[in-house]
Amino acid sequence: MDTSTVARSPHVHDEPTSFMRKWLFSTDHKVIAKQFLWTGLVFLALGGTLAMMIRWQWAFPGEKVPVLGMFLERAGGMITPATYQSIFTMHGLIMIFWAITPILIGCFGNYTIPLQIGAQDMAFPVLNMMSFWTFIISALLIVASFFVQLGTAAAGWTTYAPLSTNVGTPGLGQTLVVAAIFVTGVATIMGGINYVTTVIRLRAPGMTWMRMPLSVWGLWLTAILNVLFVPVLGSAGLLLLLDRAFGTQFFIAGAAGVKGGGDPILFQHLFWIFGHPEVYILILPAWGMISDIIPMFSRKPAYWYAGTVWAMVAVTVLSAVVYGHHMFLTGMNPLLGKGFMTFTLIISVPAEVLFLNWLHTMWKGSNRFPTPMLFAVGTVFVFGLGGLTGLYLGTIATDIYLHDTMWVVGHFHLTMAAAAFLGSFAGLYYWFPKMFGRQYNETLGKVHFWGSVTFITLVFVGQLIVGFSGQQRRLYDPYQYTYLQHLLTANRLTSYAAFLLALFQVPFVVNFLRSVFAGAPAAQNPWEATTIEWTHAASPPPHYNYNPIPTIVRGPHELANPEVKKLTGRDWAGQAEELPAGAVPAAAKGA
Amino acid sequence: MGDVVRYRPPRPREETTAAMGMVLFLGSWAMLFAALFLAYGFARMRLTSWPPAGVAALPWKLPLGNTLVLGLSSWSYQRAVREVQMARAARAWPWVAVAMALGITFVGLQVVLWRSVGRSMEPGAAGAYSSVFYGLTWLHAAHAAVGILGLGYVLARAVAGAYSGARHLSLRLWGMYWHFVGAVWALMFVTIFVL
Repeated sequence: MDTSTVARSPHVHDEPTSFMRKWLFSTDHKVIAKQFLWTGLVFLALGGTLAMMIRWQWAFPGEKVPVLGMFLERAGGMITPATYQSIFTMHGLIMIFWAITPILIGCFGNYTIPLQIGAQDMAFPVLNMMSFWTFIISALLIVASFFVQLGTAAAGWTTYAPLSTNVGTPGLGQTLVVAAIFVTGVATIMGGINYVTTVIRLRAPGMTWMRMPLSVWGLWLTAILNVLFVPVLGSAGLLLLLDRAFGTQFFIAGAAGVKGGGDPILFQHLFWIFGHPEVYILILPAWGMISDIIPMFSRKPAYWYAGTVWAMVAVTVLSAVVYGHHMFLTGMNPLLGKGFMTFTLIISVPAEVLFLNWLHTMWKGSNRFPTPMLFAVGTVFVFGLGGLTGLYLGTIATDIYLHDTMWVVGHFHLTMAAAAFLGSFAGLYYWFPKMFGRQYNETLGKVHFWGSVTFITLVFVGQLIVGFSGQQRRLYDPYQYTYLQHLLTANRLTSYAAFLLALFQVPFVVNFLRSVFAGAPAAQNPWEATTIEWTHAASPPPHYNYNPIPTIVRGPHELANPEVKKLTGRDWAGQAEELPAGAVPAAAKGA
Repeated sequence: MGDVVRYRPPRPREETTAAMGMVLFLGSWAMLFAALFLAYGFARMRLTSWPPAGVAALPWKLPLGNTLVLGLSSWSYQRAVREVQMARAARAWPWVAVAMALGITFVGLQVVLWRSVGRSMEPGAAGAYSSVFYGLTWLHAAHAAVGILGLGYVLARAVAGAYSGARHLSLRLWGMYWHFVGAVWALMFVTIFVL
């Protein structure tokens, strides 16, 4: 297409030709999405490697670590208690802020929002680029923290004070990591501002709110939560940095207490005011994406689209008022605790709506099961497990027993890790042909799915079981306690499941790398999907996405409509597709 | 007033989009400061006396003066915006220069404040009390410093004659930021130095 005749909005810059501007400092949302994807995948591998070391320690405590032992030379290839602290701390932080966040939000947010709403780019393309490079600065801080004296952070991913102050964790490593959390927070806020504004301002003509694909809804709500609550983490991080480096005492109680010392519980408040929205920040994009993917492969409109939208909105709102359930055991007022408990349990209502809507969409559908659909259904499954196990933690009576056990670890891994992980892969396989213009290998994709879903479930259910049996989280060697010694077998089996889970990522790596560079060229719309990135943009889409910008005439899932079938012979109609004459009833329909 | 109708052409779509981005950014940063104020309130609530026994209360005269300095700065900046909107853009830059000079004065007086308080109270000397004072004013001053850089940029643009009644986006956006810095300071003055 001749670009000189393209009517672009002044925001869209010309397609750059130099390597630097095209691939490194690009302002094109599609390139930035891929930058986030690659970086996120690298950190996913790093975080996963750390997880394997934790699992090794729990299966064979104190024994030499095979292969990875070479990084632990000073300790003779074994994991020392101090190293172990750092490993589980960095596993959590890296997975949340440098793997899931860039993949789910950085990659899919950037890639799908402008394409699905019919925009030519983000509202602020330069800010978008700066968001990625700010993220890279934080990633460099993280990498650097591994190489300083006393090692990297070791205060747990929650960075609770006073353990995270100089009293508990001296050394530059923890400081660098806290700084990295702040910097990556700034990057996230930049992205969030961009997503929120883009969705409000740059929707194509006819793209009303209730015609937006559900992925956009999920990502938009996530962006709102990011804009509002990441700064709270930022302030917690800043105050902690001041405590560590500038001599203040916000979080240090103790000797200074006589003169009115600080309070470590304050850190928990600030952390969880952010931390609870954060878990929904990480799951809402996955919810949105699978809410789009399931109808496309069930060949049915999403069941109760508006219900899904309002359920996600309700969860977004409720997520801001439940954080206290992380702190039932800090001696909070019982009345306050009951309030937090009630709000927490109310979240299960909208969550149930989402769940039933997904099942109902599949019910009696003409279900097809290529890899993205498998991953979407897998997400529903593990999220169901994670959601149900959460009820026992939201209830004060049971939380008193389960608090800080492996049950908690199993629960939040099923929701934040397993569901976000499988949901990311659902999105990645689904948009892969669009992103790279090539098709991935379906067989390898399916091998990857079955291995992943089987073993990820076993790993985290194994954690639930030992947690219910009383094993505390974060123990270096649980078997020092006689009452936990009988759990060695259960832990060892769980570890084997974890190693197999890692092994089953090999088909993905092979498939991904081979398909990105040498896959078969993909068709424009291999899934017979209805949203405009499939119907109106080539695979991969051109620099400016759409020319002209399509006019949206119906909701995102026009599937299995008999009238459309009569007129076009297909079981689907695109969101911006003008049907042949006589199609008025179908075309005039809203969502 | 009254004889001149303020010139308000319809704003281009991208300008509204940019302003929305700024509002979101400031909303986000308001949450950052809200969390800092929460930390202050939490720390204060836990203590039986504020300031703690044996600790001298913070001075309020210098901070009051500083509040006036920032208020004047914001007022001066709005004068510049008004000149531009009244299609007298050439008269805008002195007001921006005054706003910027007052901003620099503010940060300078903050340094004076830190030094005078620092003679009797180090950041860690009085636990939460001194921490709140130093921590919150440091973080605020950092934002003021960024604002001063922004005002410098606006001043350069104004001197270069880049603003007109129809197009003065960066003037508007940095104004929003600068007023935000002033408003946060006003809250800090009331909570930390007066109450």
